[in-house]
Parts: sequence; C-alpha cells; structure tokens
Amino acid sequence: MTNIRVIKMGEKEITKAIEENQKDSFQDFVRRLFKNKAALAGFTIIMILIIVAIFAPLIAPYEYDAQNLKFFLRPPSKEHLLGTDEFGRDVFSRIVYGSRISLQIGFIAVGISLLIGTILGALAGYYGGVIDYVITGITDIALSFPTILLAIAFVAALGPSLVNVMIAVALVSWCGYCRLVRAEFLSLREQEFVEAAVVLGMDDKRIIFNHILPNSAAPIIVMTTLEFPKAIIVESTLSFLGIGVQPPTPSWGSILSSGKFFLYEAPWISIVPGFMIMIVVMGFNLFGDALRDVLDPRLKE
Amino acid sequence: MLKYAIKRIILAIPVIISMTIIVFLILHLAPGEPIDLIVGPNVTPEVYESIRHKYGLDQPLIVQYFKFLGNLFRLDFGDSILQQRPVSRLILERLPVTLKLGIAGFILSVIIAIPLGILAAVNRNTIIDYTCMTGAMLGMSLPTFWFGLLLLYFFAYRMRIFPISGYGTWKHLVLPAFALGLTDAAVTARMMRSSMLEVLGQDYVRTARSKGLAEKVVIYQHALKNALIPIVTLLGMRLGWIIGGSVVLETIFSIPGLGRLMIDSIHSRDYPVVQGSMIVLTSAIILGNIIADILYAVIDPRIKFD
Repeated sequence: MTNIRVIKMGEKEITKAIEENQKDSFQDFVRRLFKNKAALAGFTIIMILIIVAIFAPLIAPYEYDAQNLKFFLRPPSKEHLLGTDEFGRDVFSRIVYGSRISLQIGFIAVGISLLIGTILGALAGYYGGVIDYVITGITDIALSFPTILLAIAFVAALGPSLVNVMIAVALVSWCGYCRLVRAEFLSLREQEFVEAAVVLGMDDKRIIFNHILPNSAAPIIVMTTLEFPKAIIVESTLSFLGIGVQPPTPSWGSILSSGKFFLYEAPWISIVPGFMIMIVVMGFNLFGDALRDVLDPRLKE
Repeated sequence: MLKYAIKRIILAIPVIISMTIIVFLILHLAPGEPIDLIVGPNVTPEVYESIRHKYGLDQPLIVQYFKFLGNLFRLDFGDSILQQRPVSRLILERLPVTLKLGIAGFILSVIIAIPLGILAAVNRNTIIDYTCMTGAMLGMSLPTFWFGLLLLYFFAYRMRIFPISGYGTWKHLVLPAFALGLTDAAVTARMMRSSMLEVLGQDYVRTARSKGLAEKVVIYQHALKNALIPIVTLLGMRLGWIIGGSVVLETIFSIPGLGRLMIDSIHSRDYPVVQGSMIVLTSAIILGNIIADILYAVIDPRIKFD
C-alpha cells in the first residue's frame, strides 16, 4: 500500500513531506535540548543579554558618558542603582551599554575567525596535497601559541582600540575552526553523496558550499557557541590591562579596569561588571555544552 | 624514545621562528617610531639620525630581523629604552617571581582538581557529582582578574588576613596563587572526571571488580593511574593559561614579575623590553608543551615512537 502512495506522490507532496519531516526533527531537537535545565538557563542568559543590548537606550536611565562630578563615587542609591564612578557617571547605565560591546566583540571577532578558519579548513580538507600541507602547517604553528600572549602582542602592535581588539581576538581564534572544518571535510569527502555530486559534474564551489559544508554545520555551531565566551574573556582581559577597549567606551572590562583604582572606596564599580562577565560567559558555556551533547556526541570531552 | 623526543623538538623550531618574527614585527608595526620616546621633539635631524643609526633602525627590515635573531642566540635582547639597562638583566630579575607564582598556582590547581574530578566520576550522577561540576562550571566562567580583585577586596582589605599588595613573604603569594589555581582547576577537574569515567568503563576495570577486589583498590590502584595519563598533556597545555593568568594577577597584586614588566613596558612603549619578556614567556610555554608531550609518550606505552 505504502509503495503505491509514494509513487502517486507528486514533487510538491514530496517536498512537503520532507519539510514536515525536517520540522518534526527540529522540534525533536529543541525538545531534547531544553530537557537539559542547564541549556535552558544558558539560553535564557544569552537571550537576556541580547535584549538588554538591543534596548540599552531604553533600559539605561542615563547616557553612558553623562558626567556629573557632583556625584563623585557615590554608592548605590535610588537614583543610581549601582552607584557612580570617578566621573559621576551612572555605573548601571554603563554596564547596560557594555552588553553591546560584549556582543559586538563576540559577533564580529568570532564571525571573522569563523570565516577565516572555515575557508582555510575547507580548502585544506577538500583539496589535500600541497594546499593541505601548507595550511595545516600554519594552523599547527598558530595553535601552539598561547592565546592571551598572542592577543597582547597583536594589540601592542596595533594599538589599543575596539576594532584592534576584535582583530586580535579573531587572529588568535581562527585555527580551532580550521582544524575542525578540515577534519570534517576529510571524512565527508569520501562519502557517497559527495562522490555522487562529483559524478553528476557539479563544480567544486557547489560541492563545498551546498553539500559538504551543511553537513559539518553541527560541530561548527557548537564550536561557535563555545568560542563566544572565550572572545568575551580575551576582550575583557585586554581591556582590564588597559590595552583593549579604551575609555569612555563602556566595555565591561574597561569599566572594571578604571574601577580597580577605586576598589576600596567604590567596590561596586569593579564588582558588578566582573559578575556580568561571569554570568554571560557561563550562559554561553552551559548552552554550548548542552548543544554539543545533543548535536554532536562525538565532541564530548 | 630519544627519536621521538628529537622529532618533537625539531617540530617546535618553526613555531619558535615564527614567534620571533611576530615579536620582532611588533616593534616595527607599532605606530610611531620607538626612538621618539628617547629623543623628544626638539632634536636636530642629525642627532635624530645618529640615534636611529645607534639602534640600527635605519637598516632594511630583513637585516634588522637577522641581527635581532643573532642577538637572541646570545640571549641579548638589547637595552631598555626607559631604564638604559640590558633587557636580559631586567628579565632575570623578574622571572623568578613569575615562576614562583606560576608554580604555586599550578600545584594548587592540581591539588584541587584531581581529587574533585575523581570524586565526581566515582559518584557519577549523584548530588556530589552535580556539586563538583557546577563548581567547575562556575570556576571556568570566572574571569581571573575579577576573582583576583574580589579576593583582594575581601581577604586583604576587609578582613586584613593577607597583605594588600607587594611581594616578599609567602603571604603575598597566597591570594594571587589561589586566584590562579582555582580558576585553572575548573578545567582540569572536568577533564579528570571524563577521563576517569572513560577508564572506569574499560574491560580491565570490570575484570578487577569481578575478581572481587575492593572498590577502593579498583579505583586507586587500577583506574587512577590510567586516568591520569591524558591529564599530563592537559597540564602542559594549561601552562599558557597559567602564564597568561599570572600576567594579569601580577598587575592586580603589584607583584614585580615578568608579566607586569611586559604590560608596563607596553604602556610606556619600551619595545625592547616588550619583545624580550614576550619571547621568554612564549618560549616557556612552548617548552612546557614539549615536555608534556614527551612525558606523555614516556608514561603511555601505546604511543609509538616513530
């Protein structure tokens, strides 16, 4: 019976059936993911961060750079929920705006490294030979550098600024993607569906982007979720050391950095941004861990 | 065995060479001529040129690089622009401080992480496991510099148990070593747990249990030894993290170590010092990784030496 039905199905019905199947498996994926309480907690934290970053001007009661020297280092009060800093700026507002910097660094820096790493990894894994040899060599060298020292070196050379921090973070984190994508391509290249695509005469570009890459999406997504917190930590460390995002731009690391000089008189300036960094980093770590367990059990530590 | 060690060391050569290139380029890509710091704006072009010549900055980049490389072999990093002293002397003064902090943090991390990892694995999916792993997740997400500041505020400023800053007695090292060790322990504990879990699922552990051996003997005499093997490589990899962490903590606790020297020199644009300390710190990490790899091969007979 079923056979006859399949034969009778037109192209439209088949597409519809496939779409429904995909919808089901996506719902199943979401259900499995959020059965894990840690994933739900992580996801909630990330969502709150994104909402705060988007609506920062509505949430923050003051401008992030509005100075009022009359309110020099005031402790938390009704007017200033988290007190004020050495320029009388509202710490709460600065932290709210700081969420934008963290997200920006995360998206742009991780995005650049994802792009560089994926392209290089795909080239190495797909073509092999000399290309693979050269790219793998560079990746191995880059991977043996200590991340934070390399980032410090780049920023020391480029000078401290938000853009340079993003470049530094991207330059120290592409190699993980490259290694991962290369390994995926090496194993997927041998699969039948790729052979079929080759036999059908598709060009390399189409095989790489339409056939192999979508099949290695899962580990790439997992890695991206786990790269985000690393980028935020590197940015805040550089900013804390005074060689990252510069004042008056309110990155959490730079707020903390200027707060460290008033740690004893005004501990609120340093304690809250650090706490925010921890929560957000934890959110991404929890979500990434859970995502890995569901999407790609092979990657489990 | 020796062959493996030699091969591993040869593999590190391109890494070291590219490191020297990157560090060398820092000086030359950096905005502004470094000698502007020494000469000030009011010198005649002749004097300016003679100083440029003295530091070799008038030569082609490639010549400068090979001179730089040649000097490195003699452990000569040039002179500090600000202090007018050999950089190697400055580094030698500061290195022991960083080593002490790093080793203290490292030991603390191992002491905390290994037992916690075992505890979590042995009591898998119980409240003990969840507590340990929640703690590890917190520790992993804790920014080192913030944790350092918290410790400083509460234990040094509020409770006055430890000195606020400076260096000299062991008491000065307690808080920074703790900040370093605890955040590092989180990663190691997670790794220890999964390594132990993997070993506990192996056939020989099942055999040991079915022989009727006590659970303690199974865990501590049969499983632990093998579960520790992958941890060795991890500890080598964590060295970079430990050193990165001490750079930050030296700044917070005003500890006169190599990391602090490097950051201060970046701020004052004293590039020979930046280069020298960067090279020493990075080499230490690369060396640590080599040692860990060789050690791994020594203790794990499954690794082939070819």
